[in-house]
Amino acid sequence: MANDKIRIKKLYTLSSENRKFSFSLPLKHKIKIGKREYEVKLKADEKYGTYILWKNRKYPVEIIRSSQNKYEILFNDISYTFTVETPFSLQRMKVLNSNRGKIEQEIIKAPMPGKIIDVLVREGTTVLRGEPVVILEAMKMQNEIISPVNGMVVKVMAKPNTNVMKDDILVEIKL
Amino acid sequence: MMKIKRILIANRGEIAVRIMKTAHLMKIETVVVKTAIEPYAMYLTGADVIFDNSEDNSEIPVFLNIEKLIAIALETKANAIHPGYGFLAENAYFAQKCIDNDLIFIGPSPDAIYKMGNKTIARKIALASGIPMAMGSEGNIANEEEAAVIAEKIGYPVIIKAASGGGGRGMRIVRKADEMEKMFIIASKEAEKAFNDPSVFVEKYIDNPKHIEFQILGDSKGNVIHLGERECSIQRKHQKLLEEAPSCALDEKLRKKMGDMAVQIAKAVDYSSAGTVEFLLDTDKNFYFMEMNTRIQVEHPVTEIITGLDLIEQQIRIANGEELRYKQNDIKLKGWAIECRINAEDVQAGFSPDPGKIENFNMPSDPCVRVDTGVQTGSSIVASYDSMIAKLIVRGKDRKDAIKNCKMALDKVWIKGTKTTLPFFRMLVRHQKFQDGTFTTSFIEKDLEKYYFNSDYEEMLAAWLATKLFVEENLNDDSINVNFEHGKTMSPWLLNKRINQF
Amino acid sequence: MDLSGKFYKAFSDRQSAIEKQYGPKQAEKQHSKGKLTAHERINLLFDNKTFEEIDAFVTPADQPVEFGKVERSYGDGVIVGHGKVNGRLVFAYAQDFTIMGGSLGIVHAKKIAKIQEMALKMGSPIIALIDSGGARIQEGVASLSGYAAIFQNIIHSSGIIPQISVIMGPAAGGAVYSPALTDFVFMVNHTSYMFVTGPNVVKEVLNEDVSSEELGGAEVHARKSGVAHMIYDDEENAILALKKFLSYLPSNNVENPPIVNDDGSVNEINEKLRGIIPEDPNKAYDVKDVIAQIIDKNSFFETSELFGANLVTGFARLTGKTIGVVANQPKVLAGVLDINSSTKGARFIRFCDAFNIPIITFEDVPGFLPGIDQEHSGIIRHGAKLLFAYSEATVPKITIILRKAYGGAFIVMNSKNLGGDFSFAWPSAEIAVMGPDGAVAILYRKELAESKNPVELKKELVKKYRDKIANPFIADESGYIDEVIDPAVTRKKIISALNALNNKWVKVPARKHGNMPL
Repeated sequence: MANDKIRIKKLYTLSSENRKFSFSLPLKHKIKIGKREYEVKLKADEKYGTYILWKNRKYPVEIIRSSQNKYEILFNDISYTFTVETPFSLQRMKVLNSNRGKIEQEIIKAPMPGKIIDVLVREGTTVLRGEPVVILEAMKMQNEIISPVNGMVVKVMAKPNTNVMKDDILVEIKL
Repeated sequence: MMKIKRILIANRGEIAVRIMKTAHLMKIETVVVKTAIEPYAMYLTGADVIFDNSEDNSEIPVFLNIEKLIAIALETKANAIHPGYGFLAENAYFAQKCIDNDLIFIGPSPDAIYKMGNKTIARKIALASGIPMAMGSEGNIANEEEAAVIAEKIGYPVIIKAASGGGGRGMRIVRKADEMEKMFIIASKEAEKAFNDPSVFVEKYIDNPKHIEFQILGDSKGNVIHLGERECSIQRKHQKLLEEAPSCALDEKLRKKMGDMAVQIAKAVDYSSAGTVEFLLDTDKNFYFMEMNTRIQVEHPVTEIITGLDLIEQQIRIANGEELRYKQNDIKLKGWAIECRINAEDVQAGFSPDPGKIENFNMPSDPCVRVDTGVQTGSSIVASYDSMIAKLIVRGKDRKDAIKNCKMALDKVWIKGTKTTLPFFRMLVRHQKFQDGTFTTSFIEKDLEKYYFNSDYEEMLAAWLATKLFVEENLNDDSINVNFEHGKTMSPWLLNKRINQF
Repeated sequence: MDLSGKFYKAFSDRQSAIEKQYGPKQAEKQHSKGKLTAHERINLLFDNKTFEEIDAFVTPADQPVEFGKVERSYGDGVIVGHGKVNGRLVFAYAQDFTIMGGSLGIVHAKKIAKIQEMALKMGSPIIALIDSGGARIQEGVASLSGYAAIFQNIIHSSGIIPQISVIMGPAAGGAVYSPALTDFVFMVNHTSYMFVTGPNVVKEVLNEDVSSEELGGAEVHARKSGVAHMIYDDEENAILALKKFLSYLPSNNVENPPIVNDDGSVNEINEKLRGIIPEDPNKAYDVKDVIAQIIDKNSFFETSELFGANLVTGFARLTGKTIGVVANQPKVLAGVLDINSSTKGARFIRFCDAFNIPIITFEDVPGFLPGIDQEHSGIIRHGAKLLFAYSEATVPKITIILRKAYGGAFIVMNSKNLGGDFSFAWPSAEIAVMGPDGAVAILYRKELAESKNPVELKKELVKKYRDKIANPFIADESGYIDEVIDPAVTRKKIISALNALNNKWVKVPARKHGNMPL
């Protein structure tokens, strides 16, 4: 009756620096460079841990974080952040971005009074949702104050070894 | 006759392992100290005696606790102490305390440490010995007005330095007269905070210099030789990252000139041990004395490689009272050596420390590679100490060959568990300015657009992995291989009761 | 089949008419808002070609009074039917915003009610894909009665079949109670909203300017109100996650949850667990690291992640079998219990109990959150919910005390005398009436006041208290917990405890229902 299926045939993987890689499904264990296809293998062993084997060379890999379609991957000692999008979700992203104002900010406030033990980000750091930005000691416990959003830190108000009151602004993040 | 029978290594990590290695070769016993912070550290394996200090919960690390270290040495019947680098290595009081307790301090005399440790005194000595120096104040300066007068005389830019300083703290560059007041206050405050001494002095600031240092050996009989230079211009915020020996900026003539000067200043303080005289070399090949380090340095292996000498052995022999077996003419520099400091740092986050547990650790075992390390698989890089994982030292027949070998070796290093400075070195060895040798101490800040290297396909491979994870988690029907029938079969005991309840 | 014969003329006409109704133009309307069409959503959810739609051709009711205009469409703005999700029968309805804004008229409502009743009869889960402007004004009270019937059905089915709502567009006014009554609510960021009174009314009544997103967007409900249990950045991720989520749940309250084949790849002994709890008892850690090291690989599906984050709840698997995980999160607010975390935990536990899912509790709780705000907002009332839910649950209940287990919070978090089946403690556990600092301050008030060096004395007393009272061994030796275990064997211990509890049955006293402090 209605069009049969919206089977996902392709995935777009976007890096945080806006590079776009496309992969058709089912996902092949091969990557095409020019005209030749090269085999990619994901392996793990005792000596090397998890690694990718590509053109006879091993690259260390580690999955640092993943939430929903967002992945932070450490590849050969360099970390990359990706979102994996379907053709529709990519289109949706464009639609929403154009509907919405471009600049959005998230302000992280102290959830309780306490003492700042450590500030884990600096201006310019990119943070993922769920990543700790500040460590606040309250109730004799060190609490990680986490970023509720993905974005880039634009302002850091929190200073180590200072006391803050509830709702004091700690960090501003640009989405 | 070897008087030194047993050495207390008042240090940890890579340098403790390094000292132990030579001590073993010389059939001298070693004592190391186990701490609560690193109870399973690699440096604890292979020592003859382990002093367990892990119950000590004091705020000050034991390696900075003079009384405690002396007590440990006496208790474990060590008759010598090697301080390594960092911690108490350049503490004249500690050296004196060792002597007072009949312990041999493997290093220079307390007097030499004191004189070279205070930059104002060191400057005076250097001046008196006719060593070229950047123009500047003769001693400490009292206030910003005095600083401004001197700066007018020698011309801007000038640099304000802490008299007791080191490591870049308490240092400020002043480019214009109206910045002087502010910078003076900052530098002096920083100096007070860092070194408990607010005194500062002013000297001419040399733009874009190279950092050249000479390795010195002096014995207690007054013989002093130099072992050639090292270039340590690859620095970030005054922290050295890569060192090499020799330097492509020096020819034989300049080497001899600078070397002679280095020997001269060492002689002026009756220096007896291994030490390093640091110079700045400007673009017109004028050199200026900066300071003398009275200890073994992190980057000593590059000198060992091109001279074939074991510097720790030399330190021990000199401390033992032996006379140097080499004259200046015996020292021949052969080949080229490069050292990369592989630290647990996040290059992408501005080299911020990234402590953690080393999950996999494999280093290349090629003949052209030497690895000095204090970690192994399973070790932890702890936040309380420096972030060094390993020093990758590579040799070659010339500079080009050494760079080629270094590039190869960097690709074979395999460290998992923390982020490392490897991507930075991979970038560096490919950089034109590094290859042609025209880099200076401002290279990282000025010439490097990107702090890390990744080949064209690496990001794509990482993206492929992200995609694979997404597919496995969400789209792969096999991954959720659910057996719903299972839920319908259960023991009659349970099923009957459950049904009767409803 | 030849559809050109005379019998089939009308049949094929209708077919082409409905195809036109759901044509590319309608799809474009949704897509331009960043939303999928109702059919696309259904197709994403169900296994390939397994969805059977019913009542596709019903048309809206006649208007009782001529006011505005009702579009004469097929299906009346909702698609209902059944199909297979990961091979299992599931019922669903999906509202279609392209037809009269997905508004709910009486025919629309009756279709939903019909599928709800079928789902209950079959004992199968039901999914609501909601994208609706609310009650259809043109149909007046009839549409309100439609809502009432839907609510009634949800309540009848509650605790018998899993009911899940996915909000993919607006849900406003009385309509919000349909998802609110169901077991779990999924929302999509930026394109879904829920509110009882919309921004316009807020503006009129209170003269406050607020956007739909700020008032009732996914973030707000996930973080602040707790209405949304799961939120996603786009609809595809939401539906893919929903499919995964369903794989943890049984079809009804008689069945046990499904299992996935356990490949035995997870070692029963895991030494990494020994290193997670920091030596410093005041230092935080992430309890999710503990969970991840115990359960089957990557099997944790967290619910209400952003709401009351000081208590972690979610489903996971152990040797392929579904478990419900409740864990204090030392990383957030030191893992204290407060109003939000108590209500979140209570509702999760009740769901697990209703659907035969064993509850594993990881405990590291310094106590209840002190303060005027909490007390005046009724932490007593809300904390009682968690207590009630734990005690009432008859499914297997196992507790692992990781570190702090102090005071009332210790009792509440599934203590053995509250009906917990097994209670294990790690050697790092501190079980006592209160934390060392508080206890010492009370017990030695006088001594501390008179001491010349109260700081030193306190330090000494705290150490003594830790050694003597705040450890797991006293509780172990007096039988208040079952065993102090090596953290490395936690998985093994839980698995064998669950095996022992496989056929657990508790006779509940006959009654209409208990009176939970709501």
